[in-house]
Amino acid sequence: MRLKRLTLVNFRNYSRLEIAFDRPLIVLQGDNAQGKSNLLEAIYMLATSKSPRAGSDRDLLNWFAESDIQPYARIDAEVERGSRTERIEITVLKTNGGTNGPAVRKQIRINGVNRRALDLLGHLNVVLFVPQDVELVDGSPSVRRRYLDIMLCQINPRYCRALSEYSHAVVQRSHLLRRLRERPGDPAQLAYWDEMLTTRGSEVIAWRRRAVIALDQLASAIHHELANGSELLRLKYQPSLPIPEALQPPLGLDMAVAQEEIAQIQAAFAERLARLRPAELHQGACLVGPHRDDLRFLVNGRDLQTYGSRGQQRTAALSLKMAETRLMHAETGEHPVLLLDDVLSELDAKRRECLLEAVNGVEQAILTTTDLTLFSADFLAQADSLRVTEGCIQRLNVGSGPDG
Amino acid sequence: MGSRVLPEPVERLIEEFSRLPGIGPKTASRLAFFLLRAPKDQAAQLAEALQQLRERITFCEICYNISETSPCPVCADDTRDHGLICVVEEPLDVVAVERTREFHGVYHVLHGVISPVDGVGPEDLKIEPLLERIRQGGVREVIVATNPNMEGEATAMYLARLLAPLGVRATRLARGLPMGSDLEYADEITLLRALEGRREI
Repeated sequence: MRLKRLTLVNFRNYSRLEIAFDRPLIVLQGDNAQGKSNLLEAIYMLATSKSPRAGSDRDLLNWFAESDIQPYARIDAEVERGSRTERIEITVLKTNGGTNGPAVRKQIRINGVNRRALDLLGHLNVVLFVPQDVELVDGSPSVRRRYLDIMLCQINPRYCRALSEYSHAVVQRSHLLRRLRERPGDPAQLAYWDEMLTTRGSEVIAWRRRAVIALDQLASAIHHELANGSELLRLKYQPSLPIPEALQPPLGLDMAVAQEEIAQIQAAFAERLARLRPAELHQGACLVGPHRDDLRFLVNGRDLQTYGSRGQQRTAALSLKMAETRLMHAETGEHPVLLLDDVLSELDAKRRECLLEAVNGVEQAILTTTDLTLFSADFLAQADSLRVTEGCIQRLNVGSGPDG
Repeated sequence: MGSRVLPEPVERLIEEFSRLPGIGPKTASRLAFFLLRAPKDQAAQLAEALQQLRERITFCEICYNISETSPCPVCADDTRDHGLICVVEEPLDVVAVERTREFHGVYHVLHGVISPVDGVGPEDLKIEPLLERIRQGGVREVIVATNPNMEGEATAMYLARLLAPLGVRATRLARGLPMGSDLEYADEITLLRALEGRREI
């Protein structure tokens, strides 16, 4: 899939931007703080409805727009998928809000029809590469869970549904456990939430396990190439509950054939819950489940988070991201749009070459850089080069493109 | 804060309005000033309506619906089927079911659903009075008509567990496609439930 056109209104430092993407490769060049990342952020939001950066949706609004009567920010794009073209619009509206002061509301439209955030998933898939990707290896487990969740949500909205129901159940059940700790009541109330937790939770675990098994194979091969074959990278999903040993799922994310597997995980989950009941009642929290799982990176059998050098961690994170790109293609039949935010400058020539080669294989990739010399002349000749200056965009290679 | 700009009665009314759900400080001041400028009668009528709301409305001692009388007109109606109880979350749900004109049983209003996040447990709902009603005999069937969301389902399941030993038939409203809708636009879960609950034609 690819983005054909993008319009931004009052989005971060863009007061108004209209841009058409003609070629598969787009290079955005500009100094720091000119709006390169903001553009990629807007595209990422079209795919996931969320910003990749932490912080409030309020900050998405252009500062100057704040003084408008009805402040809003808009992302409007056309996405080409096979022979179909779809229009996706996201409007962030500032509302007067209630007691907590001004708030923002997000409105999502697909082909002119208002939709929920959940319905947005799958219309545009992206993989975002940022220098902070190394946090996937050295950051906290929550970073890795979030990573797996966003990837799987894009691959299949059913995962998103299971995950959101699971999260809802965790919140309700934790409150109930806390309540039962404070003033003892009928523990039979837990039955329903246990059921929700184990049915939805086992589905989440099954998806993630299968995804990691697939990513492991893909990433190992990519890493082999990146690291000159001297190291073996393995990815392991580490569930917080013991998964039956015998369970070796086949490859792929076809959950229709995974019902037996999900049932087995659920049984193990329920058993664990029963064993942990006194501890959970004592601590007033959900102690086990996918919200406590983790993903581990091993190189030659050693845990990269603890023993890896910075360079090794970076290479592993890059391998994972490139593996994700291939997995998405394999699972959805569509190449995701690759967004590379200033990631070339910190890679050595070998890794840069590998990454650019992978980029060349997809339908569309948008790269940002401060320095055009990082790209080969060949690469630039195929690409649309654009310069970003203070929220405005200017074409650098006018006239050299196939259609001007 | 600086000195008070508005007279105390106006400020007090604004404060009271802003405590209502869905009303922010802006709307609250607009309402207050509207009443200030409106004919005197209008403010008096509002005040009277508010007073009567709490004075004349009570809860039916049988079904816990809001009513001017206890028992409420539905519970006092001998032509209705008192062996069939429809359990709902809120009084407005009674209005919704009544609109069908097809339900001739009686109601039981729980006044909420089990939601630990909001600090609502079974003991905060009118569950015990429901069980007491059934223990007194004469009830054949209990239709659990809580909302089809996670909290509504949790409440339904909790009720089902309590109703089982009492020897009454417990049923749950069917879930499926809304009338006049398009299959194309139905979400997966709704369609899945509709498939599960399919019927012979």
